[in-house]
Amino acid sequence: MRKITLTTFIILAVIMSMFVTGVMAQEQGGTLVFGRGGDTVGLDPIQVTDGESFKVTQQIYDTLVDYTPGTTEVEPALATDWEVSEAGLTWTFHLREGVEFHDGNPFNAEAVKWNFDRWRLEDHPYHIGGEFTYYSYMFQGFPGIIQEVNVVDEYTVEFVLSEKQAPFLNNLAMVPFGIASPEAVKKYGEDYFKNPVGTGAFVLEEWRQGDRVILKANENYWRERAYLDEIVFRSIPDNSARFMELQSGSIDMMDGVSPEDVEAIEESDTLKLSLRPSMNVGYFAMNFKFEPFDDVRVRRAFNHAIDKQAIIDAFYAGLAEPAKNPMPPSIWGYNDEIEPYEYNPEKAKELLAEAGYEDGFEFDLWYLPVPRPYIPQGKFIGQAIQSYLSEIGVTANLVTYDWSTYLDKTDHQEAPTYMLGWTGDNGDPDNFLYVLLDKDNSNNAYESDELHEVLVEAQKTMDQDKRVELYMEAQEIIHQDAPWVPLVHSTPPIALKSMVENYIPNPTGTEKLHRVWLSE
Amino acid sequence: MSESKNEKNMQKNTNPWFEAWRRLLKSKIGVAGLGIIIFLILVALLAPVLAPHDPFKQNILARYKAPSSEHLLGTDEMGRDILSRIIYGSRISIQVGLVSVGFALIFGVSFGLLAGFYGGKLDMLIMRFMDIMLAFPSILLAIGIVAILGPQLKNAMLAIGIINVPRFARIVRSSVLSIKESEYISAARALGAGDFRIIFKHLLPNAMAPLIVQTTLSIATAILEAAALSFLGLGAQPPSPEWGAMLSDARSSLQRAPWVATFPGLAIIFGVLGFNLLGDGLRDALDPKMKNV
Repeated sequence: MRKITLTTFIILAVIMSMFVTGVMAQEQGGTLVFGRGGDTVGLDPIQVTDGESFKVTQQIYDTLVDYTPGTTEVEPALATDWEVSEAGLTWTFHLREGVEFHDGNPFNAEAVKWNFDRWRLEDHPYHIGGEFTYYSYMFQGFPGIIQEVNVVDEYTVEFVLSEKQAPFLNNLAMVPFGIASPEAVKKYGEDYFKNPVGTGAFVLEEWRQGDRVILKANENYWRERAYLDEIVFRSIPDNSARFMELQSGSIDMMDGVSPEDVEAIEESDTLKLSLRPSMNVGYFAMNFKFEPFDDVRVRRAFNHAIDKQAIIDAFYAGLAEPAKNPMPPSIWGYNDEIEPYEYNPEKAKELLAEAGYEDGFEFDLWYLPVPRPYIPQGKFIGQAIQSYLSEIGVTANLVTYDWSTYLDKTDHQEAPTYMLGWTGDNGDPDNFLYVLLDKDNSNNAYESDELHEVLVEAQKTMDQDKRVELYMEAQEIIHQDAPWVPLVHSTPPIALKSMVENYIPNPTGTEKLHRVWLSE
Repeated sequence: MSESKNEKNMQKNTNPWFEAWRRLLKSKIGVAGLGIIIFLILVALLAPVLAPHDPFKQNILARYKAPSSEHLLGTDEMGRDILSRIIYGSRISIQVGLVSVGFALIFGVSFGLLAGFYGGKLDMLIMRFMDIMLAFPSILLAIGIVAILGPQLKNAMLAIGIINVPRFARIVRSSVLSIKESEYISAARALGAGDFRIIFKHLLPNAMAPLIVQTTLSIATAILEAAALSFLGLGAQPPSPEWGAMLSDARSSLQRAPWVATFPGLAIIFGVLGFNLLGDGLRDALDPKMKNV
């Protein structure tokens, strides 16, 4: 009996001491320098679509609801709780009281209404400064499915939808829907993107375009004040140059780590690796507008021709898994029953012969000009695909453009075949399948009415089990039609100095940094 | 008749080209350059025989292998044999040098002859245009041209050709200007020689010496410029074993696998050095002041 007590005591003491040191060690203060591949495009979150902008706006703004760090579970943020009506068309949000914008104006139901009205109403006087892309993306145009936004009382706001939207709450948690100070938007007008004012943990100090964004802690934050005093986001486009800066100590953390450098980070005493939960897909798409990619046998042949596992071993340092569906297994509704097209060049040749291309053909293969989390080395992976395809007798000419041109041209269906990818925004299958492959959205002229019906039905269904079923079916249709060769779901590595503590990467690609602290 | 025979003998001994050749062979620099270039040309011609491996054959599970007896210079980011790629790359570099400088030569010489011989408004027009081209940093101009035409090796060659045109035009024009008023030209004209005959029989041969030097040196810079364009992703496209492109792809592994960048870099240095040395040797050999030295 006495022995047990002693053991218990020791264990308790150890646990206590760990707890105490854990708490004690959290230090206030310091500057975190975050190295990244590109500069922010703008700091009005509703006007931008790129990760480099969201990375910063997420620190400056809060959304009504937020994702629990490291997941896509929705938790309260500016809204403390909410109800939805029986029919699923009226959402009521109760807002947090006593929150202030950086400019001292109060956050309340009026401010929420003003933001949503600005985004959704094209005749709103401040519907300016950009195209409000993500709003129309998620809520289907202007004004979209949000029919009315009503102020019930100072801290209660009500949304009336024109049709049910199952992922509505998840959509509201997305970074683009950060609530801005109406007074600041009115004051700066078209220049608001340079003068952001939100309720977030950090306030913009300075933005030197093309070089760095400097943020200072918000002393008046409604959550606990950030541990850091300052964050500097520096743009260093070249992966290896950025890594050298990390090694020499002039930056504290970086994303866009080359897989080649992963080993060096693991072996280093001063650096550590953090892995972003995988919620992306890197793919190789074939455009139905270009012969012979309108033939499903050719598309299936390509699916059989590429050895995904070898590509992962070579170019991802193993930090990826081969894809068989367009959406990653981390998202609910993933169809694991699907039998992947196995790597089998012989079978690929047979399929090509069946389609009448036993002598092969020639086409342009567009490879990514920049490193992306899902395809870190587009040029190398493009060459590997080219080489695999040459083994089944087809000739791919590698082509590329600068990044914005590349995106623009693929968006206009000008690429015969191309590499691209997607990082999920909100953890809903709709955010992959509908956004990437629906006939209204696909970049490769894949227009399946059958798929469209299933996806639209899934959007309007509130019953979770039914939705799972529909998305399973959608993945089966896509698998049969083989519009892409889904390549990988990667786990993007992030490199940090050992002293950077409590950094929790989100699957969505960007995260809040107010709980990060420096241990030295 | 004996007089004429004597004259022939004298002509043979003092043939300026023969004389220059003899002087070139005497200069160590020139011989070294010539040797390197002959070596390069042989490597390019015999590439299929010399290369130990297929330069395009990938083995992505054997990337970044250090130099060994199997791969003398190691393997690159796609697991390809670097030595074989450098050997095949010499074909591209020589081709770039010849094609782009050939282009510059044809257009530059034509413009120079026209401007120098006819003078006046035509001269003004051509040479001001050349001045405008020279006002741009050449690599920037080349990047601009490739950006318009699209990133391909043939466009890069064209761009390098275009940016070299003004240099040839200037050389030819100045040498035409210096002799166009001389007495033997007037004599030729008095004898009824037409413009065409005067230009090609008298003016052009006189410009030959500086042209040859400029051509050789331009090949060196053309190889360098093509490598630079390919390094920027504007020239040869993958999987082409162009030296500059190889260098560019090796950047990401500079710390981990330095040989991947080192050897293509050395190849560029070697090729450029060869043409520069030969150019310097030729300059000395063709300098009229050096006669009989």
